[in-house]
Amino acid sequence: MLPIVSFSKLSKFYGSHFAVGGFSLDIEVGDTVGLLGPNGAGKSTLLHMLTGLVRPTSGQVSVFGKELRSNYVEIAQRMGALVERPTFYDHLTVRRNLKIHAQLAQRDVNLEYTLDLCNLLDYETSKAGTLSQGLRQRLGLALAMLAEPELLVLDEPTSGLDPEATQDILTLLRRLAEETSVTVLFSSHLMHEVEMLCNRVAIINKGRLVSYEETASLISYDLSQVEVLVEGAENAAKRLEKQDWVVSVSSKPGRLYVTLKEQNSHQLNSFLVHAGYAVSGIVPRCRTLQDYFLKALAQ
Amino acid sequence: MSKPHRFEDVKPALQRIAVLYRVEITKALRLRQTYIGPLLLMLVVLLSPLGHPMAKDGVGDYGFIAYVTPLALNFLGYVLLLTYVGGLIATELGQGTLRAILLRPVRREEVYIAKFMLGCSYSALLTATVGITSWFVAFALGDLYGIQVGGELLFMNDEMAWVYLVGAFLALVPQWAGVSLGLLYSTLTRSAGTAVSLSIGTWIVVDLVKYPLGIAPMVFTTYLEAPWHVFASHCDGLDASWFPMASYCVLSSLAVTILSIILGLILFSRKDLGSC
Repeated sequence: MLPIVSFSKLSKFYGSHFAVGGFSLDIEVGDTVGLLGPNGAGKSTLLHMLTGLVRPTSGQVSVFGKELRSNYVEIAQRMGALVERPTFYDHLTVRRNLKIHAQLAQRDVNLEYTLDLCNLLDYETSKAGTLSQGLRQRLGLALAMLAEPELLVLDEPTSGLDPEATQDILTLLRRLAEETSVTVLFSSHLMHEVEMLCNRVAIINKGRLVSYEETASLISYDLSQVEVLVEGAENAAKRLEKQDWVVSVSSKPGRLYVTLKEQNSHQLNSFLVHAGYAVSGIVPRCRTLQDYFLKALAQ
Repeated sequence: MSKPHRFEDVKPALQRIAVLYRVEITKALRLRQTYIGPLLLMLVVLLSPLGHPMAKDGVGDYGFIAYVTPLALNFLGYVLLLTYVGGLIATELGQGTLRAILLRPVRREEVYIAKFMLGCSYSALLTATVGITSWFVAFALGDLYGIQVGGELLFMNDEMAWVYLVGAFLALVPQWAGVSLGLLYSTLTRSAGTAVSLSIGTWIVVDLVKYPLGIAPMVFTTYLEAPWHVFASHCDGLDASWFPMASYCVLSSLAVTILSIILGLILFSRKDLGSC
């Protein structure tokens, strides 16, 4: 099956400074892909090139199996995008802004559905300039979703929003992902957003792809790092330090933090029980996306 | 985005330009500053009888129209036009609204042409405002019974109206050259102020040097006023010819318009529209 988006050896130079260098990635239909990277990693430049706002210095972007530049109109009919802070004609109402974009969409557009989907029906007669940042972001999303796109490109859609508005947008995006078959490419530097929404994660640093994995495979329990709930933790720590299968151990009252050479917490449990300690629980450490991200960047 | 290169691409492109033009008109009609220009010009025309009195005395008052039309259009009207056009792309680049439009299935070239068409429409609106208001004022306060010299009717009212209309259409051609140049400057910057300064600055510099350099007949700004001279001559009972002035007017304006549009299209289609 053809990838829905294909970046091939894509580079963008601003003078002698490169923002993206030799970036290649294929995105499959139906995936919700999180593009993660620190500030200045090249995420926005990459999405700007995907939406035709920025010309690549070299390389190629293909969408729906077609080269972007020469097939832009055809591709844009099937693609929706929200690029950073959305901008509107502030002197026009929410509905009028949507109507203008609907005229340009060249597709049948159901304004009521879009307004409802983005919870904007109560604001359709409000001037765009009077909307709060959260509502503006929702309107931006409504514009992106207007023509029921097959590919949705979102560049930091929660950037600059308060926690409530952020949650609002994330809930909306989750609803979109669940209710529609749209493929989403979503950039963020917030791990929990990507963890919550995306089934695949691409990590980008200094303009280069560092890793592209399934989100689920990156979030796992690490049985070599455990927290033990035990009486007499300090004494137990001293005994564990002498074991060659223990890498490190630390303690505080009622808790032991143990790093094992191998993922074998049974051995640890047996040792403590045979030594007469009352073990009430062994909790493996959860390896988060953040851990993976930091490790990937360090490499 | 790349230009249409196949014949079958042209029709949808024209349809998209028509949609974009309608969108531009919709936006403009709901913007207060669109009305400032015509209102200012109307005010100039309405106040002009103070400096050029008229009376219902049987003497044709076409002289008032010949006086007020270039007065309103050639300086204030052109400044208003350049100010309006200077903001067409620069303001939207600065605010980021143009990026949102360009995310739609339209080519940059089409957006540029729709903006040029809006600028041309605005210049037509300014000219029409001055024309209609000046004829209305002359009709209301004076007489419009044709041009008589020594009791002989040289030009009837219909003829005078026709000469005025031809002059108005001819005066639009250099204005459209100004629109194309203003739009080019508007493409170069994200500040409407800078674009307007560049447009007006170019106009002043060119007008300062064109006579000493002897290139005035080849410069389009010369013809902002020249078409009205024919009407003024008719007011004096002289049947002045449109030629060769009209040819120079069209050719010099067309040259600037075509060059500016081509350059503007190239720059605009290659411009990186990343973050504001």
